[in-house]
Amino acid sequence: MKNNQYIGEGWKHAILIIGALIVLLPFYMVVSISLKSQQEIQSISGGLIGAQEVQTFPVCTKMGMSDETCTMKPYVYNYWFAFKKAPIARYLLNGLFVTVSIFLIQVLIALPCAYALSKLRFYGREFIFSMVLFCLLIPVHAIALPLYVMLAKIGLVDTYAALIIPWTISVFGIFLMRQFFMTVPDELIDAARMDGMGEYSIVWKVMLPTAIPALLAFAIFSVVAHWNDYFWPRIVITGNRDLFTPPLGIREFRGGVDSDEFGPMMASIVTITVPLVVAFIIAQKRFIEGITMTGMK
Amino acid sequence: MHYSKAHIWFVGPAVLLMFIILIFPILLAGGISFTNYNLGNPSFDWIGLENYEKMFSRKTYIKMIWATATYVLIVVPFSVVIGLCAAMLLNSLRFGADIYKTIFFLPVMATLLAMAIAWEFTLHPTMGIVNSFLANGCGGIREFLFGFHWLPWVNSNESWYHIACENNNDFPFWLKDRGYAIWTVCFIGVWQAFGFNMVLYLAGLTSIPRELYHAAEMDGAKSTWEQFKLVTWPMLGPTTLFVITITTIRSFQVFDTIEVLTKGGPSKSTYVMMYAIFEKGIQQNLTAIAAAITVVFIMFVILLTFFQRYVIEKRVHY
Amino acid sequence: MGTIKLQNINKSFGKTEVLNNLNLEIEDGEFLTLVGPSGCGKSTLLRIIAGLEQQTSGDVFIDDRNVNKTRASERDLAMVFQSYALYPHLTVRRNLETPLRLRDYSSLERFPILGNLLPNKKNKTKKIKELVQKTSETLKITELLDRKPGQLSGGQRQRAALGRAMVREPVAFLMDEPLSNLDAALRVHMRSELSELHANLKTTFIYVTHDQAEALTMSTRMAVMIDGKLLQLDTPQQVYDNPSSLAVAQFVGSPKINTIKGSANSEGIVKFLNLELQRKSSVKDSNILIGIRPEHLEISKEDSNDSIEGVVSYRENLGSDMFFHIQIAGDNEKLIARGTPQLTSSINIGSKVFVKRLRGEALLFDHNGSRIKFTSDN
Repeated sequence: MKNNQYIGEGWKHAILIIGALIVLLPFYMVVSISLKSQQEIQSISGGLIGAQEVQTFPVCTKMGMSDETCTMKPYVYNYWFAFKKAPIARYLLNGLFVTVSIFLIQVLIALPCAYALSKLRFYGREFIFSMVLFCLLIPVHAIALPLYVMLAKIGLVDTYAALIIPWTISVFGIFLMRQFFMTVPDELIDAARMDGMGEYSIVWKVMLPTAIPALLAFAIFSVVAHWNDYFWPRIVITGNRDLFTPPLGIREFRGGVDSDEFGPMMASIVTITVPLVVAFIIAQKRFIEGITMTGMK
Repeated sequence: MHYSKAHIWFVGPAVLLMFIILIFPILLAGGISFTNYNLGNPSFDWIGLENYEKMFSRKTYIKMIWATATYVLIVVPFSVVIGLCAAMLLNSLRFGADIYKTIFFLPVMATLLAMAIAWEFTLHPTMGIVNSFLANGCGGIREFLFGFHWLPWVNSNESWYHIACENNNDFPFWLKDRGYAIWTVCFIGVWQAFGFNMVLYLAGLTSIPRELYHAAEMDGAKSTWEQFKLVTWPMLGPTTLFVITITTIRSFQVFDTIEVLTKGGPSKSTYVMMYAIFEKGIQQNLTAIAAAITVVFIMFVILLTFFQRYVIEKRVHY
Repeated sequence: MGTIKLQNINKSFGKTEVLNNLNLEIEDGEFLTLVGPSGCGKSTLLRIIAGLEQQTSGDVFIDDRNVNKTRASERDLAMVFQSYALYPHLTVRRNLETPLRLRDYSSLERFPILGNLLPNKKNKTKKIKELVQKTSETLKITELLDRKPGQLSGGQRQRAALGRAMVREPVAFLMDEPLSNLDAALRVHMRSELSELHANLKTTFIYVTHDQAEALTMSTRMAVMIDGKLLQLDTPQQVYDNPSSLAVAQFVGSPKINTIKGSANSEGIVKFLNLELQRKSSVKDSNILIGIRPEHLEISKEDSNDSIEGVVSYRENLGSDMFFHIQIAGDNEKLIARGTPQLTSSINIGSKVFVKRLRGEALLFDHNGSRIKFTSDN
């Protein structure tokens, strides 16, 4: 019986490894191309990292820099040129700023609302909760068009505000937090009231600390979703390159797909995708737990 | 429970935003859809149901519905089934499950746009590794395997692989060929989605009480398939419902892949609804018809979710 | 036939040894209880018999057939789990039908709609339904057949689980603490029901419990297990009257047996407290422990020779019996003695009492806990 088990394990791993190879294929491609020279890319040679021969890059000299500056190994060139051609650091900062702002405002709005819906009694509570449930059915991307029209009418297109505002209301966040708060014992809150705490303090000093695990899960969910969001920024940022979020930055690079600069393009993709991937690999248990927890609730 | 006036401040902002950002736009879209409004024009006319009539009669829009339906009907079943199989495989491994879990979840985390471009390169007709892999395998074991020569009814001189090899390595233009584009896009969709489903199924699997499997064994359920039918699948009911609901809604909203790789083409074979809204509403400034598509889209999503959540939900919880 | 034989069973989980060289022969038709404190390995042993666990070494025989390599589903045993493990998505009827469907239908016949077209299926279905009906009548759950387990009470679920085990008419029934999740009154009621069921079915029952009262009342034989070893295999009365070791004596019987330190001199005369036993010990010249059960001690307010003086520190009133906890005068030891209700009204906490023992009921143990015989015993 033991031998059978090992053979069985072997087959399982075989299937899983094939699956893993397919899954990792594009990642491999991106990294590999970002390290190679143009000729190698177009002729598909050089294995993973390419032969790395030092050469002079024509596009670079075309831009007016000396031959000397433009002579180096391909992998250095790709990344150097990517940063030169586009403000990648700026894109990353934009991404950070936008996702963090969105998350903070979401918490600011959702937490008190969830508290009120779970622990306070007031006229219209059921109605508002039904409203929340109804809004859960509306994906924000679906109403992108009318939102865009509204923003255009008040002149907020092409601003940070446009990137952030539609996401400030997270009904999912309200729902998640409410479910969580329902499990907090009423006595805890009554004790705080007896101690003289106003409702406002209760939300931030009592409820917030108990909700940290759920908040963490929600944070992961929100940050990942908005860092990777391409659709909404694409609609709402029409001219101002300074406001580009990471996906828009990648897109811009790809603009001239038939141009001959695949190396730097892939280099920019690697740079922009890496932060999230690295964060994920480091904290993957947390990530996966977070996504699962938000899912089950 | 406490009676307090504080709730107004707590709930107020949320309610206001819900109305302004979520509910009002739907009404706005509805209103615009009955006009011929274009953003930027000061005036517009009411044209009734004309936009909707266009939607259900013009070929472009029929293709749009077709493309969206194909995408959803391929991506949802495949990503759910593959997710489930992966979860079951991982659950029964003795070691290494965590590594695979991380790998399979990576596509969910990575920026889809970036990965779409990565796939574009991988599938590139001349520079892509897939086609070069196939080309190098002409006349060898790869041709045998992928050309289906091992199936009894396939003539090895007539298989697609062989013909392609003969014609100067004319392998498919995965994204540029009208016949292949939608399937390729679906493939990328499944690639991106199954990891998420897998993770949810893993959580569901660990919550099945082990004694049920013991009982099944004692009752005579010997094979994995029998135990799956008797214990695993029924107990995963709620998880399956959730997974299908989420995947369906996400598939309806596919945009990134289309916009960067195919732009709805070739010849509108990948012209999904979200892209249509984008093209018509934002790029071509035909706000009204885009609003009509938006309304239809929202109705689809709401109906679908409603159906899945409230109708099927009862049957699935024990 | 329902004989089960276990030879030299060892089981370790990693470094922890759970079962140590266990040998056990179970006879056809008996009600054998595996009893012992939590963690003694009885559930593990049951699962090894069932085939759900593999023993590290040793052999399992069912009806003289070595079943080491036979899997659980083929050993023709039925098991009732502590949590009942009913299929939550199936009705009680379907739950009961499942083992029969898995056994009797071929895989073709089990195919959803097309399977019904096969000729034999109709007959088989009829037989299955009859069997299920009969079993549910025996267990009095016929009104529950169309409900799902989630809609049943604990006791009803337990009966349904029993039914699922019974329909297969197995060679033996294995039960893993089936009554522990029921409330006290229901538990006592179910004890007698299970015994009756056993008498009617005449099939071998192997029953695991940590409750020694259950073991005493229900079994034809009990196997006392402590720390993975089988300490004694005997009828309940024998285990109670004639325990093979101190551990067994202390485990069986409630309240716990009194143990008093004493000694035996070179002639085997046993002395403890201020008393001397009439019978002589077979072990001479050593310290021994004397065990006396509470019901073998008499309490009185008057002194007499041969009685032990003490003060009552606590009273346990069980309604039909009263147990007194007595602190022995001039000693650290405590005794528990049973008193009759008439006597008890006058004796309270703090009263001075005199305890006399009934003759011929003392048990002797050496300092290792092994039983010492009297020289008059065979």
